[in-house]
Amino acid sequence: MLYAVETEKLTKYYGQNRGVVDLSMSVLDGEIFGFIGPNGAGKTTTIRLLLGLIKPSVGEAKIFGKDLPPAGGKLYRRVGYLPAEINYYPEMTGRDLLEYAAGFYNISNYQWVEELVDRLRFDPDQKIRTYSPGNLKKLGLIQALLHKPSLLILDEPGSGLDPLIKQELFKILEEVNQRGTTIFFSTHVLEEVERICSRVAMVKNGKLIHIGPVDELPGKEIRVVTFKTAGRRPSNVALEKLGKAQELPSRPGCYRVLSHLPVNELVSYLGRFDLDYLRITNPSLEEVFFELYDLPAGGGEKHHV
Amino acid sequence: MFNGNISTTEISLNRRGLMTWTLIVIAVILLYLGSFVFMEDLGMVEMIEDYPDAFIAGLGMTPEMFADINLYHGGLVLMYVLLLASIYSMMLAGGMITRDVDLGTVEFLYTRPVSRPAILVSKAFSFLVLITLFWIAIYLVSIAVGGFWVAPAVFDIYAQFAAHLMGYLACLAAGGIAFALAPLLNRTQSLTSLAIGLGFGFFLLNSLASMYGQLDFLKYLSLHYYADLSGAAAGEPFITGMVVLPAVFGTGVAVGAALIRKKDFTA
Repeated sequence: MLYAVETEKLTKYYGQNRGVVDLSMSVLDGEIFGFIGPNGAGKTTTIRLLLGLIKPSVGEAKIFGKDLPPAGGKLYRRVGYLPAEINYYPEMTGRDLLEYAAGFYNISNYQWVEELVDRLRFDPDQKIRTYSPGNLKKLGLIQALLHKPSLLILDEPGSGLDPLIKQELFKILEEVNQRGTTIFFSTHVLEEVERICSRVAMVKNGKLIHIGPVDELPGKEIRVVTFKTAGRRPSNVALEKLGKAQELPSRPGCYRVLSHLPVNELVSYLGRFDLDYLRITNPSLEEVFFELYDLPAGGGEKHHV
Repeated sequence: MFNGNISTTEISLNRRGLMTWTLIVIAVILLYLGSFVFMEDLGMVEMIEDYPDAFIAGLGMTPEMFADINLYHGGLVLMYVLLLASIYSMMLAGGMITRDVDLGTVEFLYTRPVSRPAILVSKAFSFLVLITLFWIAIYLVSIAVGGFWVAPAVFDIYAQFAAHLMGYLACLAAGGIAFALAPLLNRTQSLTSLAIGLGFGFFLLNSLASMYGQLDFLKYLSLHYYADLSGAAAGEPFITGMVVLPAVFGTGVAVGAALIRKKDFTA
């Protein structure tokens, strides 16, 4: 089986500080792989290790079966990378930067680049120093995609983009994936992973805590239910059956519950209340981690993989 | 080991700095070389002869300089030009490396299909081009001011070429030192401080070595000694310097390439 990315006991310490610890995972060639964890979990460190920007303290990382040495080289031809924090030369225009990037791959036909510019509604003729974070993200995405890489490593690609552009981005990613590009998709937004990824790895405090198909994502059954009753307040017993409930201090009589009930059961149970307002959403990653792994305390995990 | 795309871009990114520093140095040449016409009237030769020998040696002066425009320009004006130019050279060369770390563009540049040593070598080539243009401009301005205005009959453009060439080689060496040190730094501000410190340091080491016999050995640590601008202006360029200075550049680039290969880009 061909792997686009492989790590074996990948560990990085910055002095005494933990980066990532014992990270072993593999990404199949051609899949869209989600890499998810809260801020500070070690996602960016892992990506920098994969790209050879930093050296591991222990362990190894391979791309297409080969070590990506710090000296870089031809293997980078097959890799496109979007960093989480985008920094380019402020005195250049977007077009200058794209031409500079294209120059590394001897690209002479700019049709694909122009298509990306159009689809992401990007104006390439402004100075980079004038771009908003959203436009910088678009520029970063175009430069990551312009040479049609075999492996696309994206660190928080959706952040800073408006919903319409984000939707277009996901379409583009699905298209390039269908053409054979493997996508390593790092994010802290659970919905983005569910929307596009086939498998997912979860990291917390630098350690891998789950890896598997996106349908088996821990906490996938959790729903955030916000409701207000028109009549009398529900009893504590009734609330406990729903899940961990909390009355919103700013809105008396309005409750927010993290519920593990199956959707049908949840809807049926909520029907018993005289509802004035109801909203059911997916939890944020932080909420999932809080619910399953006691994230804020950093210890006392309920589940271990 | 060379990427033209990087070199072209580096030249473009640094052209404004080149223009600024060229203008500064042109102003220095105009001011100092232009003032030579007043030297005889002021009786500078007699005045300098009255100073203690060690003092005038420390300032890189000799009484003869104020009577001979070639010695004056090559030995004195270019000495101050070299002081400024060596600082610029270190800021330019080192800045090409530290700027990417400082700006955060390492994640763009160092994930391209070019090895790290090749990136540094390509930048060193840009440095070579920019410093060559810088010294060509200095030489042309020197000819214009000295050869066409101040002393058309006696300004020796061949001897001045040798002096300018030595200044140019000293700047290459300064750049080489910066290329070797820059991978150890993460901030352009640190590099600027280092460039200014080293630029003045080289000047002072040569001055101290000239002033005190016991400190003569310090001259070997100074680029000004190897450049020997006065000797070159007198028609006797320092051959050892012509070998040592480019070797320092080459060694600096090689050390920088080895260091950057191992660097962790954590910032």
